[in-house]
Amino acid sequence: MEEVRADGRNGQQLRPLVCTRNLLHRAHGSAQWCQGDTIVLAAVYGPKAGTKKGENPEKASIEVIWKPKTGQIGKTEKQYEMILRRTLQSICILTIHPNTTTSVILQVVSDSGALLPCAINASCAALVDAGIPLKHLAVSVSCGLTQNGSLILDPSKVEEQELQAFVCMAFPNSPVTVLPEASSSKEGEPMEHGIITSTSYGSMSVNDYLCCIEYGRAASAKISEFLRRSLETEHNP
Amino acid sequence: MASPASYALRRHQQQRRRPLQDDNWVRSDGRGFHQCRPAFLRTGAARAASGSAYAEFGSTKVIVSVFGPRESKKAMKYSGIGRLNCNVNFATFSTATRGQESDHKDFSSMLHKALEGAVLLESFPKTTVDVFALVLESGGSDLPAVISCASLALADAGIMMYDLVASASVSCIGNSLIIDPAAEEEDCQDGSLTVAFMPSRREITQLTLTGEWSTGRIHEATELCLDACSKLGEIMRTCLKQAVSSST
Amino acid sequence: MAAVKEDAGGRGGGFEGEMEVEAYRRLFPLPYYERHLLESVRPDARPLSSARDTSIAVGAVSSADGSALVKTGETTMLAAIKLEVMSPSQDSPDEGSLAIDFHMPPICSPTVRPGRPAELAPVLSKQLSDVISRSKMIHLKELSLVSGKAAWMAYLDIYCLNADGSLFDVALLSAVAALAHLHIPLVSLNDEGRIIAVSGDPSRKTTREVVNKDKRKLSLNSVPFSLTCLLHKDYILADPTAEEESIMDTPVTVVLDSLDCLVSLYKPGGAALALTSSLKECVSLTRRRVQELRSILDEALQSTEMDED
Repeated sequence: MEEVRADGRNGQQLRPLVCTRNLLHRAHGSAQWCQGDTIVLAAVYGPKAGTKKGENPEKASIEVIWKPKTGQIGKTEKQYEMILRRTLQSICILTIHPNTTTSVILQVVSDSGALLPCAINASCAALVDAGIPLKHLAVSVSCGLTQNGSLILDPSKVEEQELQAFVCMAFPNSPVTVLPEASSSKEGEPMEHGIITSTSYGSMSVNDYLCCIEYGRAASAKISEFLRRSLETEHNP
Repeated sequence: MASPASYALRRHQQQRRRPLQDDNWVRSDGRGFHQCRPAFLRTGAARAASGSAYAEFGSTKVIVSVFGPRESKKAMKYSGIGRLNCNVNFATFSTATRGQESDHKDFSSMLHKALEGAVLLESFPKTTVDVFALVLESGGSDLPAVISCASLALADAGIMMYDLVASASVSCIGNSLIIDPAAEEEDCQDGSLTVAFMPSRREITQLTLTGEWSTGRIHEATELCLDACSKLGEIMRTCLKQAVSSST
Repeated sequence: MAAVKEDAGGRGGGFEGEMEVEAYRRLFPLPYYERHLLESVRPDARPLSSARDTSIAVGAVSSADGSALVKTGETTMLAAIKLEVMSPSQDSPDEGSLAIDFHMPPICSPTVRPGRPAELAPVLSKQLSDVISRSKMIHLKELSLVSGKAAWMAYLDIYCLNADGSLFDVALLSAVAALAHLHIPLVSLNDEGRIIAVSGDPSRKTTREVVNKDKRKLSLNSVPFSLTCLLHKDYILADPTAEEESIMDTPVTVVLDSLDCLVSLYKPGGAALALTSSLKECVSLTRRRVQELRSILDEALQSTEMDED
């Protein structure tokens, strides 16, 4: 049942994406990612020397600081910091610069739904801008389950408040633009189909959740294509 | 999201029958004036720590963990003797009304002074031994319970000490002296005496006196405390012996 | 070099052999674990998909209105609820409120220092309050006293007494057990409009009307239970200890409620990517664990009720 949403999209359409890089001149890398009206600015400083707590002599360490638009730093911000730190730790090649710290600072410019996926995409683009070695990119999208049981991608703030449940997922980006037909056997499932991060709020059935993952995977292919194009144009003037 | 202002339930106050007006005053749990509450002691409560102990004195429940000797913080200067770092926290649900634990901010330093005299700081130079106490339920006589439990945890961790430190407190209400007061008795006391004592060496490591006392009564109260501490010391030793014999 | 170390670790003859194994465990934790995983067993002799022994004791703290002490393996958590009275907000005059806070005091782990609170504490606190509020386990309307004027504010505090892995699971279980054990005291409204406690003693004459004679315990509908699994290459380890969590860094926490609804699936990054098949496996392991936990919780609650009667 395809229903028309408030801004005219259908269930599987994402909001328009805009990615600008190299905005801040002092930071080693920076990027601003916009999904509709949600805008997040990410800045990367690193790799830096100097001992911080929890630094490992064999691996690089990543530190994330989240600055909300208004208000003090509370538990929500700390949770976002931790999810982001663990996601970025899994995509960076940590053994290349051991005993260093890379700081990622996120500033929420405006929040209109799907804040965490926007932040993950922004910090990933900023890491590329800073030249930090990565295994693959992380592409993130959010999906929600409405009160009458249909799944919508990339919900806006107004829609988020009425959702029954809400899932935020991060996938590795696909190496080719078109996803091959997914085979259901375990041996045949390529690594790109795995999930890096997933957080869900609200109760839904297990089948609904697996459907969300499928929708998210399809959407992540589109987002990774967009990301590839925007990265290419910057480097080929 | 700020939590809305809330107030705690006012319990139906029982008339506090002061002994001054009432000659037949009996303690609420039926004990005699010079009778302590039964003690339940157990070591090895927290496996993450080098040593730990759990103590229950009636409704006062305390758990203490000892970590160390471990590296001192880099900010501390070099020290030829070891350092003892004590910290006492109250659980938010330990007192009858939430948020009352701010009355007991000085417990950490008092615990430190009580234990300092008993621990051989020279045996672990340049390092720190951390003693962390958490009061789970506060039912009166909290500091003596914390001190006794802490010295049991130190013994469980294998830190060298001159002797175990046992502690007891006495309240003066009107003309009578009662030992090991419960929370409601502490609220209507005129004065209190807390003693931390090393039973085998017969030395007092800490003595705290508040309120108005006459000289004769101080002697009597101190004798009561020392007697209770010696008995508690015996119970602590039995507990340690049991822990060792059950593990081998 | 690896082969030499393996030989040294493999021999377990006598005192010298044991020292080698312990040293190997400290120096090369990942190969030590992988050799165990090849045999589908873990160093504490548990199979990969089974959780540690769990015990629940309700009513541990008598000064609180509801409390529970839960122990899974070595991880110990104490949850207690204290009720206070508040005036409800304008948009929901019939609802009380539940505030959940998770504390990690310095006794629980050598890494927590008194001045610096643990990083995990606010994150777990937020996760717990999200799960409990979204799972529709309790109706806030049951916490209401006088519509528009007074309602209960329940402060649920969870203290970690010993941290040895799967902190979220044990914390959720202790919160659920404390809520199940909660005894709401009898109250009445006095002349000034404040709520005061009323003793349940029938011989005492109460001139005031008792406001909540029939609402003494909360009714819980879909109770959530959870299981944390670690993903490592092709293995899935259920209910990890702190040592396992520090070596293999990909936890997946699945929270299911008694109606088999997925309340939350939390996978915060990690080196291993989760394929759909692994997620389905985690969900089925959680289903089994939910059955186990539900029977343990029912047993614990029944035994306290029998003591009280």
